[in-house]
Amino acid sequence: MIFTIFAFFPAHPAIAESTYVLPYPSVMPGNFFYKIHILEEKLQSLWHFGSFGKFSYNLKLADKYLVEAKTLFEYKQYLLATKALSKSNYYFSQIPKTLSDAISEKKIIIEKQDLFKRAAEKHIEVLTSLGKTLPSVFLWQPEDGTNETLLLQKQIDQSLELRKKVL
Amino acid sequence: MSRGVVIAYQVLFFLFALFSYLFVDNNFFHLHSFYTGFYIQKRELTTLLFLLFTTAFFIFYFYFLFCAKKHFLSLPIFKKLLITSCVFGLLAYPAMLSYDIFNYIATAKVTYFYHENPYVIMPVELINNKDLIFTRAANKLALYGPIWILLTSIPYILSFGSYIFALLDIKLLLVVFYVATVFLIWMMTKNLFSITFFALNPLVLFEVLVSGHNDIVMMFLALSAFYFIFKKRIFLGIVLFILSVLIKYATLPLAPVIFLASYRILMKKKVVWEKYMLASAVIMFCMVLLSAFREEVYPWYAIWFLSFVSLLPKMKFLIYFSIIFSGSLLLRYTPFMLWGTYGGLTPITKLFLGFVPLFLFVIYVLVFKRVWLKDLFQ
Repeated sequence: MIFTIFAFFPAHPAIAESTYVLPYPSVMPGNFFYKIHILEEKLQSLWHFGSFGKFSYNLKLADKYLVEAKTLFEYKQYLLATKALSKSNYYFSQIPKTLSDAISEKKIIIEKQDLFKRAAEKHIEVLTSLGKTLPSVFLWQPEDGTNETLLLQKQIDQSLELRKKVL
Repeated sequence: MSRGVVIAYQVLFFLFALFSYLFVDNNFFHLHSFYTGFYIQKRELTTLLFLLFTTAFFIFYFYFLFCAKKHFLSLPIFKKLLITSCVFGLLAYPAMLSYDIFNYIATAKVTYFYHENPYVIMPVELINNKDLIFTRAANKLALYGPIWILLTSIPYILSFGSYIFALLDIKLLLVVFYVATVFLIWMMTKNLFSITFFALNPLVLFEVLVSGHNDIVMMFLALSAFYFIFKKRIFLGIVLFILSVLIKYATLPLAPVIFLASYRILMKKKVVWEKYMLASAVIMFCMVLLSAFREEVYPWYAIWFLSFVSLLPKMKFLIYFSIIFSGSLLLRYTPFMLWGTYGGLTPITKLFLGFVPLFLFVIYVLVFKRVWLKDLFQ
C-alpha cells in the first residue's frame, strides 16, 4: 500500500553530482618554482612504491594536471593547457594497471575502484564544462617560434573517452 | 640485600604478568582463549589491583634504590633483578595499558607483507587485513621514523607469519635495547644507583618491558651518541644521534647540545659532561610537556628524560622529581581503567593525578629543601 501511494508521486529527476573534490590549482608554468615541482614529482614517483602507492600517485597527478589544464584554458593559455591535459591523460591511463597489480597481490580494491569511478565522474564533469566553452580549433601564434594548430575539441573528446571507459 | 627480597620481587612480577592477561581484548582473536572480560566487568577491582601492583613495585623500587645507595645491592643481585624483569616483562600481555605494539606490527605488515609505503598507505586501506579489528590508529600513516620501520623488519621476518611470534619478537627486540641502555648507563657512570634508578623504575618496567614502547630504542641511540662524542668519536656520535631522531623524532631538540659538545671536544675545550646531561634532561622534560599540545602527555614519554636523569645520580632534586613524576604518570591510567571512558571526568582527573603531586613536590622543595636546587645551577 505504501508503495502504491508513493507510485502516484512523480519522481523528480536527480542531478548526480560527484562528491569527489579536485585539488586547488598548484604552481603554474612560468612560475619560478614550477621546475622544482616537476623534480619533486619525479622523486615522489620513487616514494610511492607499491600498487596502492602508485594508484594514489597517479590519481593525484591526474587530478593536479586536470586542474592545471582547466586554469590555463580559462586564461586562454591553450598551448600550455593542452600539454597539462596530456599529462593528466597519461597519469589517468596508468591507474588501471595499478589496480590490476593490486588484484594480483590479493589486495581488495573495492574502495580504490569506487574512488577511481568518482574521480572519473568529476573529470568528465570538468571536461564537459570545458568542451562547451572552448573553440574547436585554435591557431597558437607565439611571438617567436612556429605557429601550431591546437585541436582542442578533439583532445577534450579523447580525454572524455578515456574517463568514460572507467564508468 | 636478602635472597627473600629477590624472590618476593620475582613473585610480584610473575603475578603482574598474570594480571596483565585480564586485559586481553575481546577482539584480539589470536589469544581469544585468554579473554575473560574481567577488566570491563570488574573495573573497580581491576583499578584497585593495578594501584596495588604499582604501589608494590614502587616500594621495591625505593628499597632497591636505598640498597644501591648504601652499597647493600651488589651487581650480581642487580643482574638477577634485571633478568627477572626481562623474562616476566617479555611474557606479560603487551596491550594492557597501550595498544601501540599492535600498531608497530600493522606498520611492519604494510611495509614488508603488502610492500606499500607506510608513509603513504594506512593499514586501514588494506581492508582484508583481519588484524585491523584490534589495531588502534589504523587510520593513520606511519607515526615513527624510517629507522624504526627498518628495525621492525627483524621481528617481522622472524615471526614467520605468526602474529604471536611477531609480538614476542618485537618485545624481545625492545628487551635487547633495554638491556643495552642499562649497560650503556653503567659504562657512562659505573654507578649501581644510576642503573637501578633507570632499570627498575616501575614506569620503565611497565612501558618498555610490558607495553613494548619503542622510546627505549630512541633513547639508547641518543645516549650512545653522547657516549661516543665524549669518547671523541664525533662522527659516530652524530650518526647515532641522527639514527635516534629517525626512530621517533623527539630527540631532535637535542641537536644544539650534541653539536655544542662535538664542537667543544673538537676545539679541545673543557667539557663538563654533567652539564650536557642536565641540559638534555631539561630539554627532554620540556618535550614531554610540549607533547600535551600535540596530543597528550603519555606516561612512556618519561623514558625520554629518565634516561638522562639516571646519569646524574647526585642531583637529588632531579632524582626525586623523576620518581614522583614516574608515579604520577602511571596514575594517569587509572581514570580510564575505572570509568571506561575518555570523556566525563577522565581528562581532568588525569591532569590532576599527573601534575598535582609534582606541583606539591616543587612547593615542598622551594619551602623546605632549597639546597637541592643548588645542584642544578652549579
